[in-house]
Amino acid sequence: MAGKITIVLIDHSYLVRSGMENLLREFPEVSLTEVFDGSEKHLVEKTMSLKPDFIIINPKSIKDSLNSFVLSLGNDALLIGLVDEHTPPVIRSRFKHILTITDNKYDLLNNMHKLMGTNSKDKSGKHENHSLSERETTVLKHITQGMTNQEIAEKLFLSVHTVTTHRKNITKKLGIKTVSGLTVYALLNKIIDMGEVNQQ
Amino acid sequence: MAWYGNYYPAFRIRPPNDAHVLCVNLRLNIGTMRIEKDMKLADVIHHDFNLVPVINRFGIHLGFGDGTIEQICKEHKVNVAFFLIIINVYHDPQYFPKKHLQSFPVGSLVAYLHNAHEYYLEQKIPEIKKLIVKLTEESGDKHKNNFKLAFNFFEEYEHELTAHIDREETSVYPYVVELEKVIESGTAPDKVLARMQSYSITDYEDEHENVEEKLYDLKNLIIKYLPSVKNDAISYNILLELFDLEKDLREHARIEDMILVPKVEAMEITIKKMN
Repeated sequence: MAGKITIVLIDHSYLVRSGMENLLREFPEVSLTEVFDGSEKHLVEKTMSLKPDFIIINPKSIKDSLNSFVLSLGNDALLIGLVDEHTPPVIRSRFKHILTITDNKYDLLNNMHKLMGTNSKDKSGKHENHSLSERETTVLKHITQGMTNQEIAEKLFLSVHTVTTHRKNITKKLGIKTVSGLTVYALLNKIIDMGEVNQQ
Repeated sequence: MAWYGNYYPAFRIRPPNDAHVLCVNLRLNIGTMRIEKDMKLADVIHHDFNLVPVINRFGIHLGFGDGTIEQICKEHKVNVAFFLIIINVYHDPQYFPKKHLQSFPVGSLVAYLHNAHEYYLEQKIPEIKKLIVKLTEESGDKHKNNFKLAFNFFEEYEHELTAHIDREETSVYPYVVELEKVIESGTAPDKVLARMQSYSITDYEDEHENVEEKLYDLKNLIIKYLPSVKNDAISYNILLELFDLEKDLREHARIEDMILVPKVEAMEITIKKMN
């Protein structure tokens, strides 16, 4: 399924690995792509080839230099350090995000939940204003008139790709997926009027 | 589709101080028990009263007495193994029955699905429509038209759902029942073989479209965009019904995709081997 958040987990402890697997099961949209114990050869390459959204990693599980490991992973994936209360700050600071394994269940779940919200694919920002831009409003208007993406693109001199992006953003902002749902929204907000709908 | 925005809004939009609510929900999920045949049905309903409409589809109604699931199923001539599968699927979203548990007649599965369809079309949908009409009446003249929009929107959804259900009832289920008959008789008539070639259950899996999108939209229209009325009681009831219908349809689709489809695929293979 598109939109699934994929995670690779690296930890040398069987109990911690199973515990994390169990925890991640609470997030229906998360799929744990692969679990490593840290001793695998070519770990960096193997991890990168999976293109995960997140890598949860226990710094103690990395045999070689943690620094070079982190560097070679690049910035594509969000690193989450799996630490405990004894982990020195110098190690913690290598990670953008931290999960503390000695936390209680609810703190773990809440932290995890926050991390999932920072998914790199969705930088568009959860706090941004959810009202539509002028362009999006125009696109919305055309959608409710029953126009296809192609037709809208031609009319507004945009690429189909751009129209598709506008459409996705409209749905994301409004929380409405179907054309008739969008039509109701547009009518309620007087973006179109009844006459325009009846013309179709 | 981004994972957070649409399917799990509650996980995302909730303010920080609401965190404990999330945890309570999760705790309930973790603590889900497996429902077994020697449990008393009354205890099960106490534990999860949302199962009432589900047991109704087996012809079991409240006032069923103090028996265990096995006893009550026997009384009502219901296949116990099948009953347990369905009730566990509804009770626990993570549940998936093991293969050896799935030895029940396809006929009972189809009968169950049919009863569920009846429940959606004859009880749930009319109830929701009634509530939207009531809401429209209470909204005052100024906003009447806005609520009528919501009503029309829901009627559109009703048409879509009805069309989807009709297709299942008139083409998919008869096909499934026929396959079972063929296996029982041991010989496959040419007619059935021809049909298998032109239509396989795998196609059905593909065409199993998502009729849930409109429900999702309607929830957001009510929560965010329809004008406020003095009293939220009716809107709250509508939301309860919508969430409930949505969950029921989701488990329904899960039963079809994860139990009906594999079972029929297995039957198709058996029949092909018969010849």
